[in-house]
This record gives sequence, structure tokens and C-alpha cells, in this order.
Amino acid sequence: MELEKRGVVAPLVVTETFLPLVQAQARARRVRPRLVVVPHPVGGLNEAELAGRIEGAAAELLRMADEARGLS
Amino acid sequence: MSTDWDVAVVGAGIAGLTAARVAADRGLRVVAYDRLTPGGQLVNLTALHDHPGGTGPELVSALTAAAEAAGVRIGYAEVTRVHPGSAVRLETGDGEVTAGVVVVAAGLGPGRLGLPAEEALVGRGISTCAGCDGPLFRGRAVAVVGEDEWTAEEALELAGWASAVTVLVPGPPRWSPERAERLAAAGTVEVLTGAAVTALRGEGVLSGVVVRTADGERDLPVAGLFPFVDRRGPEGLVDGLAADEHGRLVGAGNVLVAGDARAGAEQSLAAAEADGRAAGEAAVAALAATAGSLRIVDPTYGLPPEDDAGPVEAAGSTATWTDVALFTNSKPNATELLRGLGQRLQAHWELPELGFAAKESASVAADKDTIDWLSQRFKMVLVAVGD
Repeated sequence: MELEKRGVVAPLVVTETFLPLVQAQARARRVRPRLVVVPHPVGGLNEAELAGRIEGAAAELLRMADEARGLS
Repeated sequence: MSTDWDVAVVGAGIAGLTAARVAADRGLRVVAYDRLTPGGQLVNLTALHDHPGGTGPELVSALTAAAEAAGVRIGYAEVTRVHPGSAVRLETGDGEVTAGVVVVAAGLGPGRLGLPAEEALVGRGISTCAGCDGPLFRGRAVAVVGEDEWTAEEALELAGWASAVTVLVPGPPRWSPERAERLAAAGTVEVLTGAAVTALRGEGVLSGVVVRTADGERDLPVAGLFPFVDRRGPEGLVDGLAADEHGRLVGAGNVLVAGDARAGAEQSLAAAEADGRAAGEAAVAALAATAGSLRIVDPTYGLPPEDDAGPVEAAGSTATWTDVALFTNSKPNATELLRGLGQRLQAHWELPELGFAAKESASVAADKDTIDWLSQRFKMVLVAVGD
């Protein structure tokens, strides 16, 4: 969030479980975060499960990135 | 006497945020410090069973929002020392501040067994957060050490992941009959009373523990160990403040203590919340007694300061859209997840390469040099922040 305050586009990858926490922290820091939300957990996943998390989040990340860059 | 803040709260968990909100509701200028994020131990609770607040992070969100709405300022800095006086001085990571009243709500430290090689195995099998690290032990055996409500709750949470959970209870269990019933109903949980861990097994990574009971010593092969014994209060944080045998503090004068950090506190969410409320009201009363009947209120208090106006361009940055980096918190699989997402973006934008930075652990704040480097060198940084 400090990066966003410094003008850097900084999407935050967060699991659903910790999303409220990150949102609270963003409000307290007065930052509107760019959030890429994935199902909880991330730790403990095998390779195939992790690939599923990546697959599920990639489209939203690319959309967010294109929008920030002015490509969409 | 003029101070930077009417009330400074050390620790933004349930007790601290409640105390801060109560004091701010009465028009006081309040800051609540936490070194990384609001929440305290709530951050580690993915399910709450004795509070209607949903999950721990959801309750943190609600408490933080309520505190902020009341005008509390969250200070992201560690308070390293408190010096009592008519104006209490606090040494923080952001410099020194003064306050008319301080509420210490810093909670307890992590559980520890006091065994050789224990610290080297923290993060390599030893953990104190079932919600965070439980998934790492999916299908494997773990042990939990302790005798309080927290121990039982963590064991129940681990039962959702591990193949077997052995609860090693040094003394008589102190958890409620309701939790005892839930432990008994969980088919994968075994409770051993009068059990102590006498040694740790494993080279580099935990592979088991040695357990002593009335029947003698035996090896218990486990991949994870969650100790919740010998959790210490913030002894030594406040000059001259008395502490009990567990390092929990006894408030005095205009230094109040709330939540688990207080000597004699009952360790439950409801008790911590009530404690915070009482501390907030006590802070209001203490300041009213000092100020007399006339009080001048800053009409701008609670408004965002000018430096919170929004994003600013990093001074001196020459970064372009080809300058993209990954910044991981180093939790298991976080780096792999970021690299996978980064590869998608790299292909999408035809980027020649991606920068990379890592925090040493998720429980420490990013260091300033890393933030400086990332903000100067990169236009976009993909950050692994919560998992």
C-alpha cells in the first residue's frame, strides 16, 4: 500500500480469508487497493492446485493491469 | 499540558481498538499503534466461536472501521518503549510522541517451549498460527501444546487439515466444557494430559517430538508443532511498571493496561473487548480529571491530513510500463503464485524480464530500502500480501 501511495501500480494478491483484513488496512492507510483475490489457502497446495489458483486469478490481474496502463 | 495525542494505544487488537474507539467517541485525539497491521491475535483466527464477529479478519475489519469512523488514527509503527510521566513519552519506529494517557494493549508474545533448537525450527514445523499454517500440514500429524482456550481452538482448527492432532496438556485443561465436547467429537484429535515436550526431533525441519507422561517418555512423529505455553506479556515495555510472573502488566497512573497484556486478564475475546471498553472510559475519566471542566477541541481532528490526499508520483522515478516486479512475503507458495501470475503478465505485455524482491517473513513490515528501490525502479509491482 505504501507503493500505491508513491504512485506505483501495486496489485495485492490476497486470499478470501484475509481479504477483510487487507481492506481494513487499506482504509486505515487511506489507499484504494487493487485486489487480486484467490481462494484460501495458498500454502500447502500441490503443483496442480497452485496452477488452478494462478489460472483463476490471471484474467483479473491482466484486466487490472491493462486498465492501469490505459490499454482497456 | 500539551501533548501530541490525548490517548495513545499500544497494540491494535480487539482490546486496543475498542479502547481507542471509546476514547475517540468522546472527542479525544487518539492514535492506536501496531507495527504491521491492526488485528493482533484476531488475524490468526479464521473462525470465532465465542464472539458474533464472523472470522478474525472480518472482526478486525469491523473494529478498525468503527475506530476510524470515531476519528482514531492508526499508527503503523512499533512502540519500543514507554516512559510514564504527566505527559507520557512513547518511543516508536516513527520517532517519539507524547500522550496524556497510554493504554497498553499489546497482548501476549508467541508460545515457546524453551527447548534447544526451538528457534531454528520456527517456520520449519513450529508455528503458532493454525489459521495461517494449518494448510501446510494437510494430511500429516501435528501436535499442539497448551492447556487454555486458545490451545483448544487452535487444535480444532488444525483438525480440519491434519491427519491427526495430539493435544499435549502439561497441567489440567482450562478450556470450557463446550470446547472439551468439540475436541472429543473431533475424530482425529487426541488429548494427553500431564504431557510435556522434552525434546524436538528433526534436522532443519521438524520431524517429531519427545513426549513425557506419567507412563514415561516416547517419540511422537509429527510434522507440525504448535506451542501455546509460556506466552509472555509485554514486560519491560513501560519504565517502572510492575508485571506478574507471566510478564503481564499492572497499570498505574496514566498508563492503563487492557486485554491479554493485563495481569489477571481472562483470555477470551469477550473479556478483551470489555477490558478495552473499560480502559477507554478510564482514559476519558483520567483526562477529564486533569483538564477540569473546560476542554478545547481541535475542529480538524478526524479529517484526513493533507499528505493523505492520494497517490503521488515517485520522485525521480524513470520507470516505464516495461518495468514490472514481484514482491513476495515469502510465505509457502506465495512466491510460486506470484511467479505464475507474473509469467502471465510477462507474456501478455511481452516484458523482457520481471524484477523481484522478498520480505524475510510475512510477520515483519517491508523495509524502507526495499520500498524505496521498488518505487524508484518499477512502474508496477505485484505484491503477495495476505494468504
